[in-house]
Amino acid sequence: MSSKPKKQNYQASEAEKTQASVAKAEKDYFDQTYAPLLREMRDTSMKEDLTGVSRGVASADTMQTLTGAGPTLSGSRSVDEAADLASAAGSQMIAANTVGLGAQRQEQVGVLGAARGQAGEAQSGLAAASRIQNTKDLQAAKAKQQIRMARANAIGQLGTTFALQGMKNKAGGGSFFKPGDIKEGQSRLDYGMGQMKDYFGIG
Amino acid sequence: MALQDYQNNMAQTRNYSVSSLPAVNDPEKVYADISRRDFESYLKDYRGFENQLIEARNDTSLVDRAPGEIAKQNEIAAGIQRRNLSRYGGAGLSIAQRQAQEANLQRQGQLGLAGGLNTARIAQRDLNKRTLTDLINIGQGVNRTANQGLATASQNSAQKAAAYKNAKAAHSSQMMGMGAQIGSLALMAFAI
Repeated sequence: MSSKPKKQNYQASEAEKTQASVAKAEKDYFDQTYAPLLREMRDTSMKEDLTGVSRGVASADTMQTLTGAGPTLSGSRSVDEAADLASAAGSQMIAANTVGLGAQRQEQVGVLGAARGQAGEAQSGLAAASRIQNTKDLQAAKAKQQIRMARANAIGQLGTTFALQGMKNKAGGGSFFKPGDIKEGQSRLDYGMGQMKDYFGIG
Repeated sequence: MALQDYQNNMAQTRNYSVSSLPAVNDPEKVYADISRRDFESYLKDYRGFENQLIEARNDTSLVDRAPGEIAKQNEIAAGIQRRNLSRYGGAGLSIAQRQAQEANLQRQGQLGLAGGLNTARIAQRDLNKRTLTDLINIGQGVNRTANQGLATASQNSAQKAAAYKNAKAAHSSQMMGMGAQIGSLALMAFAI
């Protein structure tokens, strides 16, 4: 008859004990080193003002885009420049609040996921908070302002050319509106075409 | 961390040895203790945080902030306009033109409020839904892990119960065999 089973034969082997003690050492190290970091991240994700960061970026973007070139007379006279600025800034701020809160939630969900042993999001909320897309209101206001400035520039350029040409006509022996070298009976069209041919060296 | 600090740290690490490993005689007990401690830590450190995050699926802060935001931006734009006009000595605008500017700013403010509220509502809904989806994903993972743990525990328990039943059956059949043998020996000894 076989002998009675011995308890020591059913105990953990040396290899199993070593494996378990290595695992316990790793576990203790994790608890001492990484667990406090995760708790720190939890507190940061609750306290950090990511909306403030994104609002700062949005505000700077709006003001730089719409008022960065400084005040202009045409802008001050415009009936809708301030209204466009208000509209664009309001839209940007709402977008900034959304981005900031979204980044904060992402960070919080990441912490909870890690705490619950699920995959955590490694992305920093701060980086996400500063990525604000320009709202269509800001783009529209910018486009409108560019058109307004281009129009003012074009008017300025035409006015300057007009004045300079008038003075040149007078200096050439003609009147302000009539050049000195225009022939008697020659039409303005003929004179203009001749000037252009000379300029481009044709004929 | 500077490179020097890193090197010092590495030198310190090299002094560690395997003899500093904790002694584990009963891995099962250690595992049970760690599992219990982990769950206690989760309750203490993260249960409240988790509940707060679950509540955040009904957050309305974006919508609540929108009206104040629009009013503030309108005020800032009106201030800029006033200062620019004073810089250009009124910019040659008539009273009617000034009034048109102000009316336009006011109208844009109201439109901005309506548009901003709509945008904030959509953004809030989207954000809350995303939070909920993320939480559900985490919950699903937790549920899956819990189910796996339960399955392993019940499997182990069922295996142990079956082993016990088998051992009991083996023991009783062994005892019966032994009894029959002793009985046979007695019959032979007394030559019945």
